[in-house]
Amino acid sequence: MKSTRLTIAAGAGAAALLVLAACSGDSGTGGSSSTGAEGGDVTLQMVESLTNPARTELIRRLLDDFESENPGVTVELVSPPTEQADRTIQQMLQSGSGVDVLEVRDITVGPFSNNGWLYDLSDDLADWDGLDALTENARAVAEGDGGSYFLPYGFYGLSLFYRTDLVEQAGFDGPPESWQDLLEQATAIQDPANNTYGYAFRGGQNANSNVVVAIEAYVIDELDTENAFLMEDGSTIFAADEAQEAVDDYFALFEQASPPSAVSWGYPEMVEGFTNGSTAFLLQDPEVIATVQESTTLTDEQWDTAPLLVGPTGKAAQPLAVAGWGVTEASEHKAEAVALVEFLASEGPATEFAQANSLVPIIASAADDEFYAEGPWTSYVTMTENPDTYVNVSQPRGVSWWTEWIQKSDQEIQNVLLGNMTTAELLESWDTFWTEKYAAEG
Amino acid sequence: MTTVTADRRRPAARAGGAFPGGRQSAFGRRHALTILAFLAPAIVFVCWFTYYPMLQGARMAFLDWNLWDLTSTPFVGFGNFTTVINDPVFPTVVANSVLWVVGSLVPQFLIGFAIALGLRKRFRFRGVYQALVFFPWAVSGFLIGLLFRWMFNAEFGVINDLLMKVGVIDAPVPWLADPSLAMLSVIVANIWYGVTFFAIMILAALQSVPDEILEAASLDGAGKARQLFSIIIPYISITLYLTVLLRVIWIFNFPDIIYAMTGGGPANQTHIITTWMINYTQQGNYGLASAIGLFVVAFLFVFCAFYLVAMRRSSR
Repeated sequence: MKSTRLTIAAGAGAAALLVLAACSGDSGTGGSSSTGAEGGDVTLQMVESLTNPARTELIRRLLDDFESENPGVTVELVSPPTEQADRTIQQMLQSGSGVDVLEVRDITVGPFSNNGWLYDLSDDLADWDGLDALTENARAVAEGDGGSYFLPYGFYGLSLFYRTDLVEQAGFDGPPESWQDLLEQATAIQDPANNTYGYAFRGGQNANSNVVVAIEAYVIDELDTENAFLMEDGSTIFAADEAQEAVDDYFALFEQASPPSAVSWGYPEMVEGFTNGSTAFLLQDPEVIATVQESTTLTDEQWDTAPLLVGPTGKAAQPLAVAGWGVTEASEHKAEAVALVEFLASEGPATEFAQANSLVPIIASAADDEFYAEGPWTSYVTMTENPDTYVNVSQPRGVSWWTEWIQKSDQEIQNVLLGNMTTAELLESWDTFWTEKYAAEG
Repeated sequence: MTTVTADRRRPAARAGGAFPGGRQSAFGRRHALTILAFLAPAIVFVCWFTYYPMLQGARMAFLDWNLWDLTSTPFVGFGNFTTVINDPVFPTVVANSVLWVVGSLVPQFLIGFAIALGLRKRFRFRGVYQALVFFPWAVSGFLIGLLFRWMFNAEFGVINDLLMKVGVIDAPVPWLADPSLAMLSVIVANIWYGVTFFAIMILAALQSVPDEILEAASLDGAGKARQLFSIIIPYISITLYLTVLLRVIWIFNFPDIIYAMTGGGPANQTHIITTWMINYTQQGNYGLASAIGLFVVAFLFVFCAFYLVAMRRSSR
């Protein structure tokens, strides 16, 4: 009888412990709440989302520097696999489970701040002496629009990667400057019989990005640069007359200068196509520079980068994508978390991070660094020095329907490529989508 | 027959004799409480981590629940279900899901059966060969998808390269870009991946078939085919039924390979119901994703019920 009671008590106790453990959610995982209370020291939990091993190693090194400058503060870095990172971060934020610092991107800042998950850094930045060292673009991002929710670590800007040797062999003096030049040169270089293709056309995941960039270049004279999906009169760029010419030129690149399988080409296939020497032109972010430099097929003399392609009026819209570090509203150690974010955006760490990850830097003085003055980086300097030609624009990446837009537009682009839809129908569909979304938002 | 029934009843009768009247029920209650106490942690665990999230997920199917905007999550009744059904992609997704399951399952079963039969006999290095055959099952489905994505790549992939070298094709075939070939490509990858499971399960079942029966059948003049269809298959039929049932459920719920190879494209032509559901979760639209999830649960529930009834009838 005694033993029976004992077993019942033990079982009930174990059950109670389990329930308590399950209910106490963040007490075990949230470094911020447990360690800080125990010894007076503070443990911050930081989550990155664009994880890769070399990048994680660099971040860890920068965190070690921060820890040595701030005795008593320890930073635990969480690095979920990139494919699952956004979902993991969302779940952590929703459960309020001890995240103090997190990677925030232009596509996540809107939803995260709407849901009240991000801490507004505005008051802290007013006292931060590092703000003046930032570039104009970085400062605009840091100060935000209606709230300051993250400090950027770098920008992703497009440039044209091109094969110097193939361009020369095809009889051209230099790389294309406009979209129409690109069509002409890529068509001339196209030679499927010898496994040589003109343009690394993006037909798979995120295909919409390059189509929109082309449209923006064609409508730039009346483009709303603060919301580059709209014209100055409030209509969408997809309804503009010039948009039709833009998409026709753009899709001609697929017909005349790309392999048929490019219908399903995403980032890896495009970059592989360029680095293995079979494709002459590639429109990509500077992060690809490091990958191409590692290519065993291409020598340094065989490739270079050129500024983003301009439209018929001689201007291009550069949709700078941006990401950085923010602090969660639920953090119990905001002062330390803000100090960490400011440290990462300060001159030394920010420049090191930008160079190692091939990002357009956020520190103004970094442009004078030799690193950016030679080789493939010169096109970025050219674009920075000519802001009237290469106009920086903001796309509405923070809207709650951004992922829905990406999926819809990518599917419809594939329908155009497969001949199931015309370019006019494509533009009409996109115009309707954005008009209805903005109307519903009020 | 009567004797067997009597024998089976005997232990119960003995138990009744040993603990007559109230003592028996008191003993039973104490044991029940003890068992319950030991089971309680597991029950709490399963309820908390399995059924509670499932119920929460089911509740979301009736809400306009978008992760990107949680400021308002109103009740929408069956709105999410009608949105899913009325989506123009829905018929393609349903047809693809059926094709994905049938097209993967049948070849996996036949090839897996053949491998299991081959591995049943002892031969030199059988262990090494078994390990090699079973290895794919230990690899992540997503990784398999990435490998096949490159293998099927039209310009840089090994499949086109081999086919061109042996003269089967004279120009690269855009396997993943052509809607009529993309579904075939992902199914081929899934067949390769899933054959192993059938081989493992069927081999285990085959090893339970007594050699004496087969030897006796052989002496009676039954050939290999007769032994297979009249002895081996009936003997392991329960294992076969259950393995097929498990695989139907798993393949139906297995988006990894498709997601890695095509992402559901080109133009939605390789979406099955679970890849389509993932798309909605990526949009943050957990309301629609949960509605699709409930469709999946309902379908599999009905399928399993019919299948188990059919299995019972057939094994009688």
